[in-house]
Amino acid sequence: MRAIGGYVWADSPLHRARPAAKLAGLLALVALVVLATTPLELALVAALVAALVGVSRVGWRAAGRAAWGLRWFLLAVLVMNALLFSAEDALWDLGPLHLTWAGLSQGARVVARTLLVVVLGTLLTATTRPQELVDGVRSALRPLARLGLPVEAAALAVGVTVQFVPTLLRESRQLMRAQTIRCGSVASHGIMQRVVSYVRLLVPIFVSALRRADELSVAMEARGYRISPGRPADRGEERE
Amino acid sequence: MSQVKRIVIAAVCAALCIVLPMAFHSIPNAGATWLPMHIPVMISGLVAGPVAGAVTGILGPVLSGVLTGMPPAPMLPPMTCELLTYGLVSGLLARYVRTGRVTADLYISLVGAMVAGRVVNGVLRALIFSPGAYSLEAWVAASFATSLVGIVLQLAVVVPIVVSLERAGLVPPRYPEKSA
Repeated sequence: MRAIGGYVWADSPLHRARPAAKLAGLLALVALVVLATTPLELALVAALVAALVGVSRVGWRAAGRAAWGLRWFLLAVLVMNALLFSAEDALWDLGPLHLTWAGLSQGARVVARTLLVVVLGTLLTATTRPQELVDGVRSALRPLARLGLPVEAAALAVGVTVQFVPTLLRESRQLMRAQTIRCGSVASHGIMQRVVSYVRLLVPIFVSALRRADELSVAMEARGYRISPGRPADRGEERE
Repeated sequence: MSQVKRIVIAAVCAALCIVLPMAFHSIPNAGATWLPMHIPVMISGLVAGPVAGAVTGILGPVLSGVLTGMPPAPMLPPMTCELLTYGLVSGLLARYVRTGRVTADLYISLVGAMVAGRVVNGVLRALIFSPGAYSLEAWVAASFATSLVGIVLQLAVVVPIVVSLERAGLVPPRYPEKSA
């Protein structure tokens, strides 16, 4: 499993940049990654992302941790594309499997795009504190408030989501390890046993997550946090 | 339930939409087979209402796509629409279906949402996202055959989880008069 969502303490232009600008930049770069089709275009975007990692001072290890966690999945994607994408001009055949340059190229493109998006996402969370991210979402969505959209609630939801990911990831890992110790690896079971194992696993994960949600909402309300779309002055602010 | 709590539940379920697929992706092709992202969306709708379910349905796949690259960008729009429908419909059905039995209410809402989400996904793919390249056979295969294990998992886990949350006192009971 990957570790995402962790803020890395450092002093860099990316850490100091406005959260709304970072969010907009992230979306623009993800669009670039999606639109890049040729190896040259992908290499240029990769160079840009590498430059951002260098500028951010979060370290290559921290920036690549989430991508490293995906290695087996990405390897499977590459192999499946290489063997199943096409049957024309096969370099090697084995029954229904055909290794082709077109498949290899397609697999490499998918893997490269996924890696770039993962690194960009990691950079955002490594250089932006959750509260700053909430402020960034709030600023970015502010124009939509005039249309009556609940910007404050959206910003709160994004902030809480990003903030909870590392916590829930840690708790899920602990619960999975505890279950592995008690019952063995889930992956080695048959389908029905797996379903039963996942029921046993998911119930405590959800109960624990909702307990945290309950505690957080009680704490927020106890401090007077209210979301009222009516008057701008009251929106999502803590009452004095 | 207060509005703040509904939003926090929606956000926590969206976080689970990011966390659960990470666990399931250790199994090959697990995303399409086990459908781990569907479970928090439906639970959000069932316990916190249609708006919270819809918020989870949007935030879960979008933030997961941005932060982890999964689902990949081409799959993101149809998947977001599908999950939004799951959250919205499960919340609406949970609000209006009142049979007098909690489990029956929840199963009706769950199955209704599962069907509605798949229908919306199929219609959107056929008309907007893959016009001309999407067939009824492909829809049946993707919605029911490939994801059969995920459907079984959803039917097996979602209702017990919601009942457990009610018993733990974390969400208000559907029939307070019976609980009292």
